Amino acid sequence: MRGDKKTKLLAKQLFKLSLRDGQVSSEQVAGVLSYIEQAAPRHALALLKLYQQAIVTELAKSHARVEHAGPISAATLQLIASAMTKKYARPVTATAQPNPRLLAGLRVRIGSDLYESSVAGQLATLSHAV
Amino acid sequence: MSIVVEQIEQQIAKLSSKAIKKNTGTIRAVADGVAKLDGLSDVMYNEMVQFPGGAIGIALNLEADEVGCVVLGDVSQLKEGDEVQTTGKLLSVPVGRALLGRVVDALGRPVDGKGPIDSKEFYPVEKIAPGIMVRKSVNQPLFTGIMAIDSMIPIGRGQRELIIGDRGTGKTTICIDTIINQGRINKVGLASGDKSFRPVYSIYVAIGQKQSNVVRTIAALEAAGALEYTVIVAATAGDNPANQYLAPFSGASIGEWFMENGMDALIVYDDLSKHAVAYRQISLILKRPSGREAYPGDVFYLHSRLLERAARLDGKGSLTALPVIETQAGDVSAYIPTNVISITDGQIFLETDLFNQGIRPAVSVGLSVSRVGSSAQIKVTKQVGGKLKGELAQFRELAAFAQFGSDLDAKTKAQLERGSRIVELFKQPQLNPLSIELQAAILWALQKTYFDSIEVKNVVSAANSLKDYLTSRKDALLTKIRNEAKLSDEIEAGLKAAADEWKSTFAAQ
Repeated sequence: MRGDKKTKLLAKQLFKLSLRDGQVSSEQVAGVLSYIEQAAPRHALALLKLYQQAIVTELAKSHARVEHAGPISAATLQLIASAMTKKYARPVTATAQPNPRLLAGLRVRIGSDLYESSVAGQLATLSHAV
Repeated sequence: MSIVVEQIEQQIAKLSSKAIKKNTGTIRAVADGVAKLDGLSDVMYNEMVQFPGGAIGIALNLEADEVGCVVLGDVSQLKEGDEVQTTGKLLSVPVGRALLGRVVDALGRPVDGKGPIDSKEFYPVEKIAPGIMVRKSVNQPLFTGIMAIDSMIPIGRGQRELIIGDRGTGKTTICIDTIINQGRINKVGLASGDKSFRPVYSIYVAIGQKQSNVVRTIAALEAAGALEYTVIVAATAGDNPANQYLAPFSGASIGEWFMENGMDALIVYDDLSKHAVAYRQISLILKRPSGREAYPGDVFYLHSRLLERAARLDGKGSLTALPVIETQAGDVSAYIPTNVISITDGQIFLETDLFNQGIRPAVSVGLSVSRVGSSAQIKVTKQVGGKLKGELAQFRELAAFAQFGSDLDAKTKAQLERGSRIVELFKQPQLNPLSIELQAAILWALQKTYFDSIEVKNVVSAANSLKDYLTSRKDALLTKIRNEAKLSDEIEAGLKAAADEWKSTFAAQ
């Protein structure tokens, strides 16, 4: 469900209020949620969904999801996190997620960017080219 | 087999172990050929987007929280949550000579069952039109083979001439005749071995037409031997609006290749009314603000940027455009007709009344105009047909006036007689374009009053008899007119002798 113009604007404003130093702050989010509960604005469900979407998108920018086919060490994860922190100029955390379909290698997802370094990805590129 | 293995090896060699960065998003909603996407933070305007299952899309709406994208291809396999990727490429179509004689869709993929197209080059579908400095004025003729047009509303190479009229008035027929005429001229010119001869290649873009009509057009071109010089881009009524919206731009890219490579090309957009309707549909689904007749605000820019791509380039070739517009009940003041009239360099207006009276092609001389004028005519046509438009306009005026009175002076009667003979002479069956030399010879005979003694109802058969006589017995004279392109004393003497001989044989019949 997509809200009307006013709901979208309110969701945008609430999202801005949820940031502290450019980062999503849990205290601010809690404050926003309690405001919504008390004020009970029109189209509250649509508003909450839009707000959630904005927060999830923002959080995804600070979180690298590392899909891997073989074992991955904590040091590698740390290396990826620091490299991404440097690249995006914001603190980025990294979590591992096993994915045997990659065959070998890694796939790192951060925000809407995808870094493909897996055998499955390369084979897909190859099949597309041929 | 070894070539395939080599190709794979080359491709493997290209793949490095370096990570490839892609920008991704997810499908939020798909409806009516348009997908709303989340993510894709790096997507560019008009960039190709890769959907799962091989379908591609074009990003048309870049908003703060979503991307609106038209999907080209099968949307039935797409579902909410599917991942999409940017490609970093703008939509391109294959171009080049390999497309001649082929029928392709809006993306340049063959749809004629004649196998893949071996094209090495690709041109982007959306391209900025050539600027002022690289252009050259239009002064070379493009013969349609239709006497009424070539003599009174001449079209030049690089011109944009609108063909406008109600449904069933012969708009497509004029376009097909013109393409067939280019095929005939190309055959004669290329066979002559003349180094200075510049063939004209044609591109016919069918937008929102019935598939049966497109099949008929292909058959007509094939039967006339013109298909080998023609590319057909088909986005028929069954195709989704995105393909119908893109087809003319793809055709323009195919035409631009000929222009950029020093050749001349002709492109027919049949028709831009349906194109505007397809664009309106896409725009409404994308929730763009609508304006007059629910068309989006940029519908003028849609057609102006398309038609501006037709040009004659200095030191290169040319691209001539014949856009077609269908009017409703002859209303040329509707939104899309007025837009395209103001963009083009003239229009050929076809009237239902004339068509129903049996005057075909039903060209309305009063409302039709070519802004390039006589600079795109060869000298012989100017010599024999320079005054025709004025005479015909006078005839129309007098004919309307003469309805109310029977007492007419001799001069008026003579003008009416002559006008009705000109009207008869301009009647021409479809799919039968006339060579410019034959047109010149017939108009010369008209100018020299050879038809004045023939009854009006017999003028058509007399003209056909003269055509047969000239083509069968005076081929050398016609070749001379074609090569010299002007009426010299010698040619005029030849024409007089031929016309006298024909007149005596015709009178004896």
